[in-house]
Parts: sequence; structure tokens; C-alpha cells
Amino acid sequence: MNHSEVQNLLLLGGILFAIGLIGFLTRRSIILMFLSLETMLSGVSINLIAFSRFHQNYQGQILSVMVLTIAACEAAIALAMVVSLYRRKATLDVQAWDELSETILPKEPEGDYIGMEHLETYPKLSPAGLDPRDQPMPSSFQANPNQPTSELDHKTSPIVSEVNKRG
Amino acid sequence: MNPLSIDPKNLPLVNGEQFQGNLSQILLLVILLGTAAYLLLQHGLVKSKMMAWAGGGLFAFAALMAFMSIPMQVESVVRICFSILAVAGGVAFITAREPVHAALGFATTVLSACGVMFMQSAYFIAAATMIVYAGATIIIFLFVLMFAQKSNLQWYDVQLIRPVIAAAVATSLLFAIAWSVSEPGEILPIKLDLTRPYSLAAPGIAPGQALPPVPESTMSQAQLSEFVPAKTSGLGRSMFTDYLLAIELAGTVLLVATIGAIVLAQNPERDPS
Repeated sequence: MNHSEVQNLLLLGGILFAIGLIGFLTRRSIILMFLSLETMLSGVSINLIAFSRFHQNYQGQILSVMVLTIAACEAAIALAMVVSLYRRKATLDVQAWDELSETILPKEPEGDYIGMEHLETYPKLSPAGLDPRDQPMPSSFQANPNQPTSELDHKTSPIVSEVNKRG
Repeated sequence: MNPLSIDPKNLPLVNGEQFQGNLSQILLLVILLGTAAYLLLQHGLVKSKMMAWAGGGLFAFAALMAFMSIPMQVESVVRICFSILAVAGGVAFITAREPVHAALGFATTVLSACGVMFMQSAYFIAAATMIVYAGATIIIFLFVLMFAQKSNLQWYDVQLIRPVIAAAVATSLLFAIAWSVSEPGEILPIKLDLTRPYSLAAPGIAPGQALPPVPESTMSQAQLSEFVPAKTSGLGRSMFTDYLLAIELAGTVLLVATIGAIVLAQNPERDPS
């Protein structure tokens, strides 16, 4: 293995590392950020193996076994974290978790109870009226089959509009 | 004589024949990569696929031109083709809109990197990387993508965070790497390291017997100078003699990571307690 070969391999490792760095810095999806990390690690691994061949010993290969181990651990932990983060906010956007950094929070006034408005409870309305899905409907509420459908407007029938309002 | 007794400063400098005075080539490569990254990483990612292919093809052509001026053997051609494939996979990875396409680009990158490792006679590492990355990691990533990905593209799949700054940072990093790599005499040709002697010692020591004292006795000086770390058995011997503690610690880290992943992935609402 001559000198230019190890130079080429180091350049390849550097290019892979730079590509991974670009992906890590620009992407917003958490999964793609972790894939970029893995790309960076594979660039480092190529670097280590080139030096192992060039220096004629096994140390680089053993270090790259370590890199492989740590990459596997990182993938397992990271994907478990992605799953549990997705359960909370149902998004893969990394900026949804910006508030963990704590610097973007506005200054809280001391002594105020911040979460007060979330404690308000609203009364629940008991269901009333007719459910149109109920069969059979009373005949007095059924639409006249002789009536053309274009005239069966919601505004004309107060019961249907009332049912639509309640959802 | 012990190779470690050589003062590295007195060694004859192995000059990088091909890259010496070729700083302009490196600069050209770096600038091309930077502009390609800038063009490809515009706001909203790649507007048209043609642009991506044009940028990737431009970079591959530049790399080919830079490397093809050197007379090469077949092995070097194959290695460079693997390298170009790896870089193209990486470009496809960072410019893909769909996360699944990005995962495929990543798989291409990793498999090509495995090819490069294989040609460096790191057989075990290449196979393990193929199994761990291209097998397990890609599959797990695809599972999580299927679990968490909405059916249509989300805006966070497409939008980027400050692509210009990222491209500038990565390009300057790459330029620094290329500069320091192409500096003649920067890569010291230290040969076999004998500070880790156990793997070179003769095998088959009875319990209670003393370790063989001098590892150089197993290999002659000519053998040492021709030594290629190509045997998987040699890697295993070095792993389980010289670096036994580190390997055991790596196994422990794997165990801890397994437990942590199981604990983290639990659904707290379904906790029976």
C-alpha cells in the first residue's frame, strides 16, 4: 500500500464525513439525522481501516470494531427514543423538541401560576335531539320522498339543521 | 532491529507523488463539492431530479478526471469506482425528499464503503459492517419509518435548517482534511507496532507456563516488512489477547444499550403497575 492510496482513502473518508455532517446539520427529520450520523461513522471506519493497512497492524481494525459496536448501540437507543418521542408529539420534526434547550422559553413571572388556564373545565352537554342514524325514524320526521332532493335543504328543515349543528 | 526504535523524523519522507503539487486539483474538488452541495441543498431540497443528477454527474466526472490522470492498476480502478459509488449514494442520501429514498442512498453508501474495506483486506470488518449497517440498522430504520411516517410528505421532510451554512462548514472541513492529507510527510510510515506483543507470541502455552518473552522471534524482519493485516484469525487473536478488556467492555456497552432500548421503547400507558 503506497502513500497515494492511503491519501485517496483518507479523502474518501473525509468526503463521507462531510456528507454526513451536511445531512446532520440540515435535515429536520430525526431519523434522517441519525442516518447522517451513521454515514459519518462509516467515513471514520474507512479512515481507520486505511491506517490499519498502511501501518501494517490490526489496531485500526480493532478500533473500527469499536466504532461498529457503538454505532449499533446508538442505533438501538436512538430508535427507541424516536419511538417514544413520536408517541408524545406524533411528529418526527426535531424542532418540535426545541423547548428542551430551555433558552427559547420566555421569562416566567415569579409567583404566577402559569398553567392556570389549562385547568379550566368546560361543561359537557348532554345529548339531545334525534340521531338520524337511528332506524327507524318517526314518519313525521322523514323527508317526503315525493319532494325533489334539491329542495331538501338544511335551512328548510329545522330538525336536520339542528342535528347537523350538534354534529 | 525494532521498528519502534526508528525516530520518525529521520525516516525518509514518502512523498505523495501523485498529489504533490496537485493542490489545485484538491481545491477544484472541494469547490465543486461545495457548490454541488449548495445547489442541491436549496430551500425545499431538490426542485427537480434533473438538477440532482446533473450535480452528481458533474462531481463524479470531476473526480474521475482528477483520478484518471494517474496510471492505475485494475484494483485501484475498482476501488475508485467503489469510492465514487459511495459518494454518489451519499449525495442521493442528503438530497432525497422521501425518507425511504434517503435510506436507500444510505444503504448504497454503506455497501460501497464495505467494498472499499474489503479491498483493504479488512474482511471481518467489511462483513460485520454489511451485516450490522446494511442489514440490521437499515431494517430497523425502515421499521421505524413505517411506524412513524405519514403517508404523504411532511414539511419537515422537505425543509432544511440553514443549508448554506451547513454546506460551508462541511466544505471547509473537507478542505482542511484534504489539505492535511496532501501535506507531504504528514502521514508517517510507521510499520508494525510491537507494543502489543501478545498476539504475535507463539500460541499453545500450557497453564502455569510463562509467556514467551520476545515476540519478534516469531517473525523475521523481512516478514515484518511484508506483513499485511489481512487475516481474520490474526484480527481475532489481537482482539482477544491485546484488546481483551476493550472487547469485553464493548460487549457490556451492547448489553446496557439493549436494556436501555427495551426500557425506552416501553409504552408507559400499558404499564401494568
